[in-house]
Amino acid sequence: RGKMDEGKAYSPGGVFAHLEMLEARACEAATKKEETERQEEKLARLKARVEELRLQRDELQAKVDLQQKRQLGKEGVASAPAQPSAQAVLEWKIKSVEAMLQVFYLTGISGKLTKLGVCFCISTAYEGTYLDSYYLDLLTKPEVQIHRHSVPIFIPLGQIAKKYLQTDIRRFLSVLSDHLNAYAGRRYQADQLQEHFSDQIEGTLQRNSLCNLLVFNYNVSSKRKTFLFNVRLLYGDLCCSLPTEVVISCTPDAPASLAEMAAAHSDLFRRVALHKAFRSFSSAEENMD
Amino acid sequence: MDNSICQVYEDIIQSLEEEIKLLAEKYEDSQQESTFFSDEEILMSIKSFQREFQGESKGCESPSDLKAQLESLETDLSFLMKFTGIQFTSHSKKTVEKTRNRTVRKHRLSGNCHSLSFQLEFQLLEMQNKESVSAVISDLSIIMESGEDSDVSKFVSSTEEHGNLLTFFRSLSSYAEWYEHRRCTFLHFK
Repeated sequence: RGKMDEGKAYSPGGVFAHLEMLEARACEAATKKEETERQEEKLARLKARVEELRLQRDELQAKVDLQQKRQLGKEGVASAPAQPSAQAVLEWKIKSVEAMLQVFYLTGISGKLTKLGVCFCISTAYEGTYLDSYYLDLLTKPEVQIHRHSVPIFIPLGQIAKKYLQTDIRRFLSVLSDHLNAYAGRRYQADQLQEHFSDQIEGTLQRNSLCNLLVFNYNVSSKRKTFLFNVRLLYGDLCCSLPTEVVISCTPDAPASLAEMAAAHSDLFRRVALHKAFRSFSSAEENMD
Repeated sequence: MDNSICQVYEDIIQSLEEEIKLLAEKYEDSQQESTFFSDEEILMSIKSFQREFQGESKGCESPSDLKAQLESLETDLSFLMKFTGIQFTSHSKKTVEKTRNRTVRKHRLSGNCHSLSFQLEFQLLEMQNKESVSAVISDLSIIMESGEDSDVSKFVSSTEEHGNLLTFFRSLSSYAEWYEHRRCTFLHFK
């Protein structure tokens, strides 16, 4: 039986409950204190880390600034200021050769020798923009075979291999590269059209995986009225990124003058890349206004 | 409340770590790009490196590792040059801009394809997207040995205008082969 607080009357059960409550409160306070201490420790650690990193950053910045000043003071290519270690020289050479190998990527054909053959990488580009690259892992013994590749299934790899792989690997890669680059170019044009001229396209641009068949509708304006042209582009030559066949049709209520426009557009699509053709429409319209 | 302060510090830490990484890369790039060692210097280094560590294994890069790595890379390079017919004789680059997602470098490249020699300068912009790196060529300038030939100069100007570096190399190979064939034919009839 516990003592009772002055002026307060508790039943024995109430005292225990009160003590439990006080104990719980003390526990809570202790936990909170621990928690606060932990938070403060964490904060102190973080602050210290920030200071450490700031110092590191400032040192590096000073190093880079000094390097820039040194380089501006000398003409052309300078050798390292301090005597470099043999290891540093070798590491420089390794990076230099790696950079040269990366440049080959820009030429369209790059690769590396493997234990059992060669792994080629064919890069594709449209003008100055490099697009996807494709891998061909070739085995060279007992005869040249394709071990693995990342060429899409709609590119006639089997046909091209059958014709050239055994007799002329260079020709094989060159023809395959023609196909891949033309496909990449067609896809790029369609993507550019959708990205930059979506306001002129009505509905969706339909295309097949090989991107050699495109069908879409686009707006044209004539005498301040807008009409819809439907165009079907067929790229009959798989090594070419310009269409071989262009069919433009308009709605039956279209005026006769539109037929001339359709013929002009049809001619343009045959000669000029799709997105460039649309670019010329926009600027032509601007000029007319 | 404390949590948000901690978060602020953690964000600062992350941005400092990125800054440090970038600065370190800038320093490395600049060192690499402003240095040049001749083949003799490379050979001497290989020899002295092997002597220094005779029997000793120090750190993670032993001399035989580095030498093997260099040999493998040089074998790949020499194979590619022989296979494509494109021989690069010199290459230099300068990093002009480098941020977390963007790197811009100026390249100077010279070489020959069969008997045709060329000199190129271009700017390469590489951007890190979500899944891949995109590369775009600009400011392409091409000097070709047989530049007086009107066909060649037309081809060169059109290539320069559109930054068609890839097309340049692909066409160069076939043109060089044809040119070589023609030259041999003329010599044969002389």
